[in-house]
Amino acid sequence: MNAEIDATSEKFLRGKYAIVGVGETPYTRGSGTTTRALGTYAVRRAIEDAGLRMDDIDGMLSYSGNDSIPSTAVAGDLGIRLNFYMDVMGGGSSTEALIGIAMGVIEAGMCKTVVIFRSMNGYSQIRIGGTGRGSGASNLSGDGLFGRAYGQSSAAQAFAQTFMRHMYDYGTTPEQIAHVKAIHSEHASNNPKAYYKHRVTVDDVLSSRMIVKPLHLLDCCVETDNATAIVVTRMDRARDCKHMPATILSVVGRCCKPRIDNHYQAGPISTVAGHYAKEILWPNAGVGPDDVDLTGSYDAFTFTTMLQLEDYGFCEKGDGGEYVSSGIMRLGGARPNNTSGGHLCEGYTHGMNMVIENVRQLRGEIDDSCPTDTNGKRQHTYDYSTGGCRQVRDPEITANLGWAMPGTGSALVMAKGER
Amino acid sequence: MDLVKPIPRPSTTTRPFWDGLNERKVQIQRCDACDSWVFYPRTRCPSCLSDLLIWREVSGQGVLYTYTLARQPTAPHFADETPQQLAVVELDEGVRMTSTLVNVEPSDIVIGMRLQPYFDQVTDDVTLLRYQPG
Repeated sequence: MNAEIDATSEKFLRGKYAIVGVGETPYTRGSGTTTRALGTYAVRRAIEDAGLRMDDIDGMLSYSGNDSIPSTAVAGDLGIRLNFYMDVMGGGSSTEALIGIAMGVIEAGMCKTVVIFRSMNGYSQIRIGGTGRGSGASNLSGDGLFGRAYGQSSAAQAFAQTFMRHMYDYGTTPEQIAHVKAIHSEHASNNPKAYYKHRVTVDDVLSSRMIVKPLHLLDCCVETDNATAIVVTRMDRARDCKHMPATILSVVGRCCKPRIDNHYQAGPISTVAGHYAKEILWPNAGVGPDDVDLTGSYDAFTFTTMLQLEDYGFCEKGDGGEYVSSGIMRLGGARPNNTSGGHLCEGYTHGMNMVIENVRQLRGEIDDSCPTDTNGKRQHTYDYSTGGCRQVRDPEITANLGWAMPGTGSALVMAKGER
Repeated sequence: MDLVKPIPRPSTTTRPFWDGLNERKVQIQRCDACDSWVFYPRTRCPSCLSDLLIWREVSGQGVLYTYTLARQPTAPHFADETPQQLAVVELDEGVRMTSTLVNVEPSDIVIGMRLQPYFDQVTDDVTLLRYQPG
Protein backbone atom coordinates (compact mmCIF):
# COMPACT_ATOMS: atom_id res chain seq x y z
CA MET A 1 0.00 0.00 0.00
CA ASN A 2 1.28 3.43 -0.84
CA ALA A 3 1.66 5.13 2.50
CA GLU A 4 3.23 8.28 1.12
CA ILE A 5 1.20 11.46 1.30
CA ASP A 6 1.81 14.63 -0.60
CA ALA A 7 -1.11 16.96 -0.19
CA THR A 8 0.97 20.09 -0.16
CA SER A 9 -0.73 22.84 -2.12
CA GLU A 10 0.28 25.90 -4.06
CA LYS A 11 0.25 27.66 -0.68
CA PHE A 12 -2.20 30.22 -1.99
CA LEU A 13 -4.26 30.00 1.18
CA ARG A 14 -1.32 30.46 3.55
CA GLY A 15 -2.04 33.60 5.53
CA LYS A 16 -5.35 34.27 3.77
CA TYR A 17 -7.67 33.17 6.59
CA ALA A 18 -7.81 33.83 10.30
CA ILE A 19 -9.54 33.00 13.53
CA VAL A 20 -11.09 36.26 14.64
CA GLY A 21 -13.36 35.27 17.52
CA VAL A 22 -13.31 32.76 20.37
CA GLY A 23 -15.77 31.99 23.13
CA GLU A 24 -16.74 29.37 25.65
CA THR A 25 -19.00 28.52 28.55
CA PRO A 26 -17.64 27.73 32.00
CA TYR A 27 -16.21 24.21 32.36
CA THR A 28 -18.42 22.41 34.87
CA ARG A 29 -19.62 19.03 36.02
CA GLY A 30 -23.33 19.50 35.98
CA SER A 31 -24.15 22.41 33.69
CA GLY A 32 -27.79 22.14 34.66
CA THR A 33 -28.74 23.10 31.14
CA THR A 34 -28.99 21.76 27.61
CA THR A 35 -26.32 21.45 24.92
CA ARG A 36 -28.50 23.90 22.98
CA ALA A 37 -28.22 26.56 25.65
CA LEU A 38 -24.50 25.88 26.07
CA GLY A 39 -23.84 25.99 22.33
CA THR A 40 -25.84 29.17 21.83
CA TYR A 41 -23.96 30.86 24.68
CA ALA A 42 -20.51 29.93 23.34
CA VAL A 43 -21.34 30.88 19.74
CA ARG A 44 -22.68 34.26 20.81
CA ARG A 45 -19.56 34.90 22.91
CA ALA A 46 -17.27 34.04 19.98
CA ILE A 47 -19.14 36.33 17.58
CA GLU A 48 -19.14 39.19 20.06
CA ASP A 49 -15.45 38.59 20.77
CA ALA A 50 -14.79 39.10 17.07
CA GLY A 51 -16.62 42.41 17.22
CA LEU A 52 -19.16 41.11 14.72
CA ARG A 53 -22.94 41.20 14.76
CA MET A 54 -25.05 38.07 14.53
CA ASP A 55 -25.98 38.91 10.93
CA ASP A 56 -22.32 39.04 9.94
CA ILE A 57 -22.29 35.24 10.38
CA ASP A 58 -23.61 33.16 7.49
CA GLY A 59 -21.86 29.82 7.96
CA MET A 60 -21.93 27.32 10.80
CA LEU A 61 -20.17 24.03 11.48
CA SER A 62 -20.34 21.69 14.44
CA TYR A 63 -19.21 18.22 15.39
CA SER A 64 -20.49 15.68 17.84
CA GLY A 65 -20.95 12.03 18.63
CA ASN A 66 -24.73 12.19 18.80
CA ASP A 67 -24.38 14.11 22.05
CA SER A 68 -24.97 17.68 20.91
CA ILE A 69 -27.28 20.13 19.18
CA PRO A 70 -27.31 20.91 15.45
CA SER A 71 -26.34 24.24 13.91
CA THR A 72 -29.93 24.95 12.92
CA ALA A 73 -31.03 25.21 16.55
CA VAL A 74 -28.18 27.50 17.55
CA ALA A 75 -28.60 29.68 14.47
CA GLY A 76 -32.32 29.93 15.17
CA ASP A 77 -31.75 30.98 18.76
CA LEU A 78 -29.40 33.74 17.64
CA GLY A 79 -31.48 34.93 14.71
CA ILE A 80 -28.77 34.00 12.24
CA ARG A 81 -29.72 33.28 8.62
CA LEU A 82 -27.24 30.75 7.23
CA ASN A 83 -25.90 30.43 3.70
CA PHE A 84 -24.10 27.25 4.71
CA TYR A 85 -24.09 24.83 7.62
CA MET A 86 -23.01 21.29 8.34
CA ASP A 87 -22.99 19.12 11.46
CA VAL A 88 -20.58 16.24 11.30
CA MET A 89 -19.78 13.19 13.35
CA GLY A 90 -16.49 13.34 15.11
CA GLY A 91 -14.47 13.88 18.19
CA GLY A 92 -10.91 14.82 18.81
CA SER A 93 -9.63 15.51 15.33
CA SER A 94 -12.53 17.72 14.33
CA THR A 95 -11.66 21.28 15.32
CA GLU A 96 -8.72 21.68 12.98
CA ALA A 97 -10.44 19.68 10.23
CA LEU A 98 -13.51 21.95 10.36
CA ILE A 99 -11.32 25.06 10.29
CA GLY A 100 -9.99 23.75 6.97
CA ILE A 101 -13.52 23.07 5.75
CA ALA A 102 -14.57 26.59 6.77
CA MET A 103 -11.73 28.04 4.69
CA GLY A 104 -12.79 25.84 1.79
CA VAL A 105 -16.44 26.82 1.77
CA ILE A 106 -15.60 30.51 2.08
CA GLU A 107 -13.08 30.12 -0.75
CA ALA A 108 -15.79 28.43 -2.82
CA GLY A 109 -18.00 31.43 -2.36
CA MET A 110 -20.62 29.55 -0.37
CA CYS A 111 -20.54 31.91 2.59
CA LYS A 112 -18.41 34.63 4.15
CA THR A 113 -17.83 34.01 7.83
CA VAL A 114 -18.15 30.68 9.65
CA VAL A 115 -18.61 29.93 13.30
CA ILE A 116 -17.57 26.45 14.48
CA PHE A 117 -18.83 25.04 17.77
CA ARG A 118 -18.69 21.98 20.00
CA SER A 119 -21.29 21.63 22.76
CA MET A 120 -21.43 18.72 25.15
CA ASN A 121 -22.59 17.68 28.59
CA GLY A 122 -19.65 15.32 28.63
CA TYR A 123 -19.92 14.61 32.32
CA SER A 124 -23.58 14.90 33.24
CA GLN A 125 -25.13 13.38 30.11
CA ILE A 126 -23.14 11.32 27.59
CA ARG A 127 -19.70 10.25 28.78
CA ILE A 128 -17.00 9.33 26.28
CA GLY A 129 -16.17 5.64 26.30
CA GLY A 130 -19.65 4.68 27.25
CA THR A 131 -18.98 3.59 30.79
CA GLY A 132 -22.14 1.99 32.02
CA ARG A 133 -23.65 1.78 28.56
CA GLY A 134 -23.42 -1.10 26.13
CA SER A 135 -26.08 -3.02 24.33
CA GLY A 136 -24.68 -6.47 25.03
CA ALA A 137 -25.07 -8.99 22.24
CA SER A 138 -24.96 -7.29 18.91
CA ASN A 139 -23.94 -7.84 15.35
CA LEU A 140 -20.26 -7.15 15.71
CA SER A 141 -18.42 -6.51 12.49
CA GLY A 142 -15.12 -5.23 11.18
CA ASP A 143 -12.65 -4.19 13.81
CA GLY A 144 -15.41 -4.34 16.38
CA LEU A 145 -15.68 -8.06 15.84
CA PHE A 146 -12.18 -8.46 17.11
CA GLY A 147 -12.17 -5.78 19.77
CA ARG A 148 -15.53 -5.60 21.48
CA ALA A 149 -15.99 -9.34 21.62
CA TYR A 150 -12.93 -9.43 23.83
CA GLY A 151 -14.05 -6.52 25.95
CA GLN A 152 -11.98 -3.82 24.35
CA SER A 153 -13.98 -0.75 23.46
CA SER A 154 -12.86 2.36 25.32
CA ALA A 155 -10.32 4.88 24.11
CA ALA A 156 -8.14 4.20 27.14
CA GLN A 157 -8.03 0.47 26.38
CA ALA A 158 -7.31 0.90 22.70
CA PHE A 159 -4.73 3.67 23.09
CA ALA A 160 -2.97 1.95 25.99
CA GLN A 161 -1.75 -0.74 23.61
CA THR A 162 0.06 1.95 21.64
CA PHE A 163 1.54 3.40 24.83
CA MET A 164 2.72 -0.03 26.04
CA ARG A 165 4.43 -0.76 22.76
CA HIS A 166 6.06 2.69 22.76
CA MET A 167 7.53 1.92 26.17
CA TYR A 168 8.81 -1.40 24.82
CA ASP A 169 10.22 0.05 21.60
CA TYR A 170 11.84 3.16 23.03
CA GLY A 171 12.24 2.70 26.78
CA THR A 172 9.74 5.46 27.56
CA THR A 173 8.66 5.44 31.22
CA PRO A 174 5.41 6.35 33.02
CA GLU A 175 7.48 8.66 35.23
CA GLN A 176 8.60 10.69 32.19
CA ILE A 177 5.04 10.92 30.91
CA ALA A 178 3.62 11.93 34.30
CA HIS A 179 5.39 15.25 33.79
CA VAL A 180 2.74 16.11 31.21
CA LYS A 181 0.04 16.14 33.88
CA ALA A 182 2.25 17.93 36.38
CA ILE A 183 3.10 20.66 33.86
CA HIS A 184 -0.46 21.09 32.60
CA SER A 185 -1.63 21.36 36.21
CA GLU A 186 0.87 24.17 36.79
CA HIS A 187 -0.63 25.99 33.83
CA ALA A 188 -4.19 25.34 35.00
CA SER A 189 -3.39 26.82 38.39
CA ASN A 190 -3.05 30.15 36.54
CA ASN A 191 -6.29 29.67 34.63
CA PRO A 192 -9.38 30.90 36.48
CA LYS A 193 -11.57 28.91 34.04
CA ALA A 194 -9.89 25.55 34.65
CA TYR A 195 -11.93 22.77 36.22
CA TYR A 196 -8.88 21.45 38.11
CA LYS A 197 -6.82 24.37 39.36
CA HIS A 198 -4.62 22.58 41.88
CA ARG A 199 -1.07 21.62 41.03
CA VAL A 200 -0.11 17.96 41.18
CA THR A 201 3.31 16.33 41.18
CA VAL A 202 4.79 13.46 39.20
CA ASP A 203 4.49 11.34 42.35
CA ASP A 204 0.80 12.24 42.64
CA VAL A 205 0.27 10.87 39.12
CA LEU A 206 2.26 7.69 39.70
CA SER A 207 0.56 6.98 43.01
CA SER A 208 -2.96 7.50 41.67
CA ARG A 209 -5.14 4.48 40.99
CA MET A 210 -4.22 2.35 37.96
CA ILE A 211 -6.99 2.46 35.33
CA VAL A 212 -5.63 0.79 32.20
CA LYS A 213 -1.94 -0.03 32.20
CA PRO A 214 0.13 2.18 31.91
CA LEU A 215 -2.52 4.86 32.58
CA HIS A 216 -3.12 5.99 36.14
CA LEU A 217 -6.20 8.00 37.03
CA LEU A 218 -4.24 11.26 36.71
CA ASP A 219 -2.93 10.28 33.28
CA CYS A 220 -6.54 10.57 32.05
CA CYS A 221 -8.30 13.82 31.19
CA VAL A 222 -11.22 15.37 33.00
CA GLU A 223 -14.80 14.96 31.74
CA THR A 224 -16.76 18.20 31.79
CA ASP A 225 -19.89 19.94 30.53
CA ASN A 226 -19.12 22.86 28.22
CA ALA A 227 -19.38 24.46 24.81
CA THR A 228 -16.67 26.20 22.82
CA ALA A 229 -16.75 28.22 19.59
CA ILE A 230 -14.47 29.98 17.14
CA VAL A 231 -15.08 32.30 14.19
CA VAL A 232 -13.17 31.85 10.91
CA THR A 233 -13.12 34.38 8.11
CA ARG A 234 -11.00 35.65 5.24
CA MET A 235 -8.19 38.09 5.95
CA ASP A 236 -9.86 41.03 4.18
CA ARG A 237 -12.72 40.75 6.68
CA ALA A 238 -10.47 39.75 9.57
CA ARG A 239 -8.72 43.12 9.39
CA ASP A 240 -11.91 44.85 10.45
CA CYS A 241 -12.55 42.67 13.47
CA LYS A 242 -11.95 43.70 17.06
CA HIS A 243 -8.73 41.80 17.75
CA MET A 244 -5.48 41.16 15.93
CA PRO A 245 -6.23 38.13 13.72
CA ALA A 246 -4.76 34.73 14.53
CA THR A 247 -3.63 34.02 11.00
CA ILE A 248 -3.92 30.48 9.68
CA LEU A 249 -0.72 29.32 8.03
CA SER A 250 -1.64 25.67 7.55
CA VAL A 251 -4.25 23.10 8.46
CA VAL A 252 -4.49 19.31 8.27
CA GLY A 253 -7.75 17.45 8.77
CA ARG A 254 -8.17 13.84 9.86
CA CYS A 255 -4.97 12.63 8.25
CA CYS A 256 -4.70 8.86 8.65
CA LYS A 257 -2.23 6.05 9.07
CA PRO A 258 -2.51 3.19 6.55
CA ARG A 259 -5.38 0.72 7.21
CA ILE A 260 -7.26 3.22 9.29
CA ASP A 261 -9.99 0.68 9.99
CA ASN A 262 -7.42 -1.26 11.99
CA HIS A 263 -4.27 0.84 12.06
CA TYR A 264 -2.04 -1.50 14.00
CA GLN A 265 -2.30 -4.02 11.20
CA ALA A 266 0.02 -1.90 9.08
CA GLY A 267 3.26 -0.61 10.49
CA PRO A 268 4.29 0.08 14.04
CA ILE A 269 1.49 0.72 16.52
CA SER A 270 3.79 3.13 18.40
CA THR A 271 3.77 5.58 15.47
CA VAL A 272 0.75 7.90 15.23
CA ALA A 273 -0.91 9.90 12.45
CA GLY A 274 1.29 12.95 13.03
CA HIS A 275 4.02 11.04 11.22
CA TYR A 276 1.97 11.54 8.04
CA ALA A 277 0.25 14.81 8.91
CA LYS A 278 3.52 16.65 9.40
CA GLU A 279 4.33 16.16 5.71
CA ILE A 280 1.32 18.35 4.92
CA LEU A 281 1.42 20.67 7.91
CA TRP A 282 4.92 22.12 7.79
CA PRO A 283 5.40 22.59 4.02
CA ASN A 284 2.04 24.36 3.73
CA ALA A 285 2.81 26.53 6.76
CA GLY A 286 6.25 27.49 5.51
CA VAL A 287 7.60 26.98 9.01
CA GLY A 288 8.85 23.97 10.93
CA PRO A 289 8.72 22.71 14.51
CA ASP A 290 11.74 24.80 15.50
CA ASP A 291 9.83 27.97 14.58
CA VAL A 292 6.91 27.19 16.90
CA ASP A 293 6.71 29.19 20.14
CA LEU A 294 3.99 27.17 21.84
CA THR A 295 2.07 24.00 21.20
CA GLY A 296 -1.43 22.79 21.94
CA SER A 297 -1.50 19.01 22.09
CA TYR A 298 -4.52 16.76 22.44
CA ASP A 299 -4.05 15.53 25.98
CA ALA A 300 -6.89 13.08 26.32
CA PHE A 301 -4.17 11.17 28.12
CA THR A 302 -0.67 12.23 29.12
CA PHE A 303 0.75 9.78 26.59
CA THR A 304 -1.10 11.29 23.62
CA THR A 305 0.77 14.57 24.13
CA MET A 306 4.11 12.77 24.02
CA LEU A 307 3.23 10.76 20.90
CA GLN A 308 2.01 13.80 18.99
CA LEU A 309 4.94 16.05 19.79
CA GLU A 310 7.30 13.27 18.77
CA ASP A 311 5.62 12.36 15.49
CA TYR A 312 5.13 15.99 14.44
CA GLY A 313 8.89 16.35 14.71
CA PHE A 314 9.37 18.40 17.88
CA CYS A 315 11.95 15.79 18.84
CA GLU A 316 13.42 12.64 17.33
CA LYS A 317 11.20 9.57 17.17
CA GLY A 318 11.58 7.74 20.46
CA ASP A 319 12.73 10.80 22.40
CA GLY A 320 9.22 11.89 23.37
CA GLY A 321 9.61 10.80 26.97
CA GLU A 322 12.73 12.90 27.30
CA TYR A 323 11.06 15.88 25.59
CA VAL A 324 8.00 16.01 27.82
CA SER A 325 10.03 15.60 31.03
CA SER A 326 12.71 18.14 30.07
CA GLY A 327 10.84 21.23 31.23
CA ILE A 328 10.59 22.65 27.72
CA MET A 329 6.77 22.45 27.88
CA ARG A 330 6.43 24.54 31.06
CA LEU A 331 5.45 28.18 31.07
CA GLY A 332 8.82 29.91 30.98
CA GLY A 333 10.28 26.98 29.03
CA ALA A 334 11.34 27.18 25.41
CA ARG A 335 8.06 25.87 23.98
CA PRO A 336 5.17 25.71 26.44
CA ASN A 337 2.41 23.20 25.77
CA ASN A 338 -1.28 23.54 26.68
CA THR A 339 -0.97 26.72 28.68
CA SER A 340 -4.64 26.52 29.67
CA GLY A 341 -4.13 23.16 31.37
CA GLY A 342 -5.69 21.40 28.39
CA HIS A 343 -8.00 18.44 28.61
CA LEU A 344 -6.12 17.07 31.60
CA CYS A 345 -7.01 20.09 33.75
CA GLU A 346 -9.00 22.88 32.08
CA GLY A 347 -11.83 20.82 30.64
CA TYR A 348 -12.76 18.45 27.85
CA THR A 349 -14.24 19.84 24.69
CA HIS A 350 -12.72 17.62 22.03
CA GLY A 351 -9.78 19.80 21.07
CA MET A 352 -11.30 23.23 20.64
CA ASN A 353 -10.25 24.75 23.96
CA MET A 354 -6.56 24.37 23.05
CA VAL A 355 -7.16 26.31 19.81
CA ILE A 356 -8.98 29.04 21.74
CA GLU A 357 -6.04 29.25 24.15
CA ASN A 358 -3.51 29.69 21.37
CA VAL A 359 -5.60 32.40 19.69
CA ARG A 360 -5.58 34.36 22.96
CA GLN A 361 -1.84 33.70 23.41
CA LEU A 362 -1.12 35.17 19.96
CA ARG A 363 -3.21 38.23 20.81
CA GLY A 364 -1.25 38.63 24.05
CA GLU A 365 -4.57 38.66 25.86
CA ILE A 366 -4.62 35.53 27.99
CA ASP A 367 -7.38 35.62 30.60
CA ASP A 368 -5.33 35.00 33.72
CA SER A 369 -5.37 36.84 37.04
CA CYS A 370 -2.89 39.56 36.11
CA PRO A 371 -4.01 43.14 36.88
CA THR A 372 -5.73 45.23 34.22
CA ASP A 373 -5.02 48.83 33.33
CA THR A 374 -7.61 51.60 33.17
CA ASN A 375 -8.57 50.48 29.66
CA GLY A 376 -9.24 46.96 30.90
CA LYS A 377 -6.13 45.61 29.17
CA ARG A 378 -4.31 43.00 31.18
CA GLN A 379 -0.79 43.85 32.31
CA HIS A 380 1.00 40.54 32.23
CA THR A 381 3.62 39.93 34.90
CA TYR A 382 5.17 36.75 33.43
CA ASP A 383 5.33 35.45 36.98
CA TYR A 384 4.22 31.86 36.43
CA SER A 385 3.84 30.84 40.08
CA THR A 386 0.47 29.55 41.29
CA GLY A 387 -2.36 31.95 40.66
CA GLY A 388 -0.17 34.14 38.49
CA CYS A 389 0.40 34.81 34.83
CA ARG A 390 0.12 32.33 31.99
CA GLN A 391 0.78 34.62 29.03
CA VAL A 392 3.79 33.52 26.96
CA ARG A 393 6.13 36.38 26.02
CA ASP A 394 5.38 37.62 22.49
CA PRO A 395 4.54 34.36 20.77
CA GLU A 396 4.62 34.53 16.97
CA ILE A 397 3.79 30.97 15.88
CA THR A 398 1.60 28.29 17.47
CA ALA A 399 0.81 24.69 16.56
CA ASN A 400 -2.28 22.72 17.54
CA LEU A 401 -2.25 18.96 17.29
CA GLY A 402 -5.63 17.23 17.15
CA TRP A 403 -6.10 13.55 17.84
CA ALA A 404 -8.98 11.18 17.14
CA MET A 405 -7.02 8.05 17.90
CA PRO A 406 -3.45 6.88 17.23
CA GLY A 407 -4.31 6.43 13.56
CA THR A 408 -6.06 9.77 12.83
CA GLY A 409 -4.90 13.30 13.50
CA SER A 410 -5.50 16.94 12.56
CA ALA A 411 -3.30 19.96 13.02
CA LEU A 412 -3.22 23.76 12.72
CA VAL A 413 -0.44 26.33 12.57
CA MET A 414 -1.32 29.93 13.39
CA ALA A 415 0.69 33.14 13.42
CA LYS A 416 0.32 36.47 15.18
CA GLY A 417 -1.36 39.05 12.97
CA GLU A 418 -1.32 39.51 9.24
CA ARG A 419 1.69 37.98 7.49
CA MET B 1 -29.93 -5.02 33.53
CA ASP B 2 -29.14 -8.27 31.82
CA LEU B 3 -25.39 -8.33 31.41
CA VAL B 4 -24.94 -10.25 28.18
CA LYS B 5 -21.47 -9.85 26.74
CA PRO B 6 -21.20 -8.84 23.10
CA ILE B 7 -21.16 -12.03 21.04
CA PRO B 8 -20.08 -12.08 17.40
CA ARG B 9 -22.80 -12.89 14.90
CA PRO B 10 -20.90 -14.19 11.89
CA SER B 11 -21.54 -12.51 8.54
CA THR B 12 -21.03 -14.08 5.14
CA THR B 13 -17.53 -12.65 5.04
CA THR B 14 -16.46 -13.72 8.52
CA ARG B 15 -18.27 -17.03 8.94
CA PRO B 16 -15.33 -19.28 7.96
CA PHE B 17 -13.24 -17.70 10.71
CA TRP B 18 -15.87 -18.42 13.38
CA ASP B 19 -16.73 -21.87 11.98
CA GLY B 20 -13.03 -22.73 12.14
CA LEU B 21 -12.79 -21.72 15.77
CA ASN B 22 -15.76 -23.96 16.59
CA GLU B 23 -13.65 -26.83 15.17
CA ARG B 24 -10.57 -25.72 17.16
CA LYS B 25 -8.89 -24.47 13.99
CA VAL B 26 -7.50 -21.01 13.21
CA GLN B 27 -8.28 -20.02 9.63
CA ILE B 28 -7.35 -16.73 8.04
CA GLN B 29 -7.53 -15.45 4.49
CA ARG B 30 -4.65 -15.57 2.05
CA CYS B 31 -4.59 -13.59 -1.18
CA ASP B 32 -3.60 -15.90 -4.00
CA ALA B 33 -2.94 -12.97 -6.31
CA CYS B 34 -0.24 -11.23 -4.27
CA ASP B 35 0.67 -13.88 -1.70
CA SER B 36 -0.25 -11.84 1.36
CA TRP B 37 -2.13 -12.80 4.50
CA VAL B 38 -5.29 -10.82 5.24
CA PHE B 39 -6.90 -10.24 8.63
CA TYR B 40 -9.56 -9.32 9.65
CA PRO B 41 -11.74 -11.04 7.03
CA ARG B 42 -12.54 -8.94 3.98
CA THR B 43 -14.11 -9.37 0.58
CA ARG B 44 -11.05 -8.08 -1.27
CA CYS B 45 -7.34 -7.96 -0.61
CA PRO B 46 -6.46 -4.43 0.59
CA SER B 47 -3.00 -4.73 -0.98
CA CYS B 48 -3.93 -5.67 -4.57
CA LEU B 49 -7.76 -5.54 -4.58
CA SER B 50 -8.01 -9.12 -5.80
CA ASP B 51 -11.01 -11.10 -4.65
CA LEU B 52 -9.00 -14.34 -4.70
CA LEU B 53 -9.03 -14.60 -0.93
CA ILE B 54 -8.69 -18.23 0.12
CA TRP B 55 -9.26 -19.46 3.67
CA ARG B 56 -6.22 -21.31 4.96
CA GLU B 57 -5.68 -23.07 8.25
CA VAL B 58 -2.66 -21.78 10.17
CA SER B 59 -1.09 -22.84 13.46
CA GLY B 60 -2.54 -19.82 15.22
CA GLN B 61 0.72 -19.38 17.06
CA GLY B 62 2.44 -16.06 17.40
CA VAL B 63 3.97 -13.52 19.74
CA LEU B 64 2.58 -10.83 22.01
CA TYR B 65 2.85 -7.55 20.07
CA THR B 66 1.42 -5.35 22.82
CA TYR B 67 -1.07 -5.57 25.69
CA THR B 68 -2.74 -3.71 28.51
CA LEU B 69 -4.33 -4.58 31.82
CA ALA B 70 -7.69 -2.88 32.25
CA ARG B 71 -8.61 -2.54 35.90
CA GLN B 72 -11.62 -0.38 35.06
CA PRO B 73 -13.98 -2.31 32.77
CA THR B 74 -15.50 -0.29 29.93
CA ALA B 75 -18.84 -1.87 30.49
CA PRO B 76 -20.23 -3.76 33.48
CA HIS B 77 -20.38 -6.86 31.27
CA PHE B 78 -16.67 -7.31 31.70
CA ALA B 79 -16.37 -6.58 35.41
CA ASP B 80 -15.88 -10.30 36.10
CA GLU B 81 -12.76 -10.33 33.95
CA THR B 82 -10.81 -7.53 35.64
CA PRO B 83 -8.03 -7.01 35.23
CA GLN B 84 -8.89 -7.57 31.58
CA GLN B 85 -5.73 -8.86 29.91
CA LEU B 86 -6.24 -7.23 26.51
CA ALA B 87 -3.66 -8.07 23.89
CA VAL B 88 -2.62 -7.61 20.30
CA VAL B 89 -1.15 -10.87 19.03
CA GLU B 90 1.06 -11.04 15.96
CA LEU B 91 0.62 -14.40 14.28
CA ASP B 92 3.63 -16.06 12.71
CA GLU B 93 2.10 -15.14 9.35
CA GLY B 94 2.48 -11.44 10.28
CA VAL B 95 -1.14 -10.38 10.80
CA ARG B 96 -2.18 -8.92 14.14
CA MET B 97 -5.38 -9.56 16.04
CA THR B 98 -6.97 -8.32 19.25
CA SER B 99 -7.55 -10.95 21.88
CA THR B 100 -7.31 -11.60 25.60
CA LEU B 101 -4.64 -13.55 27.46
CA VAL B 102 -5.57 -16.50 29.70
CA ASN B 103 -3.65 -18.95 31.88
CA VAL B 104 -1.02 -16.34 32.70
CA GLU B 105 -0.47 -14.07 35.69
CA PRO B 106 -0.39 -10.34 34.88
CA SER B 107 3.14 -10.08 36.26
CA ASP B 108 4.36 -12.77 33.85
CA ILE B 109 3.12 -10.99 30.69
CA VAL B 110 5.92 -9.57 28.54
CA ILE B 111 5.81 -8.17 25.02
CA GLY B 112 7.42 -10.63 22.61
CA MET B 113 6.41 -13.78 24.53
CA ARG B 114 5.34 -16.82 22.49
CA LEU B 115 1.62 -17.50 22.48
CA GLN B 116 -0.67 -20.28 21.39
CA PRO B 117 -4.41 -20.37 20.85
CA TYR B 118 -6.88 -21.07 23.62
CA PHE B 119 -10.28 -21.90 22.15
CA ASP B 120 -12.99 -20.54 24.44
CA GLN B 121 -16.46 -21.74 23.50
CA VAL B 122 -18.66 -19.00 24.93
CA THR B 123 -22.01 -20.12 23.47
CA ASP B 124 -23.28 -23.15 21.57
CA ASP B 125 -22.42 -21.37 18.33
CA VAL B 126 -19.48 -19.11 19.07
CA THR B 127 -15.89 -19.80 20.12
CA LEU B 128 -13.57 -16.90 20.90
CA LEU B 129 -9.87 -17.09 20.12
CA ARG B 130 -8.01 -16.26 23.29
CA TYR B 131 -4.29 -16.73 23.82
CA GLN B 132 -2.06 -18.44 26.40
CA PRO B 133 1.70 -18.80 26.79
CA GLY B 134 3.21 -21.57 24.71
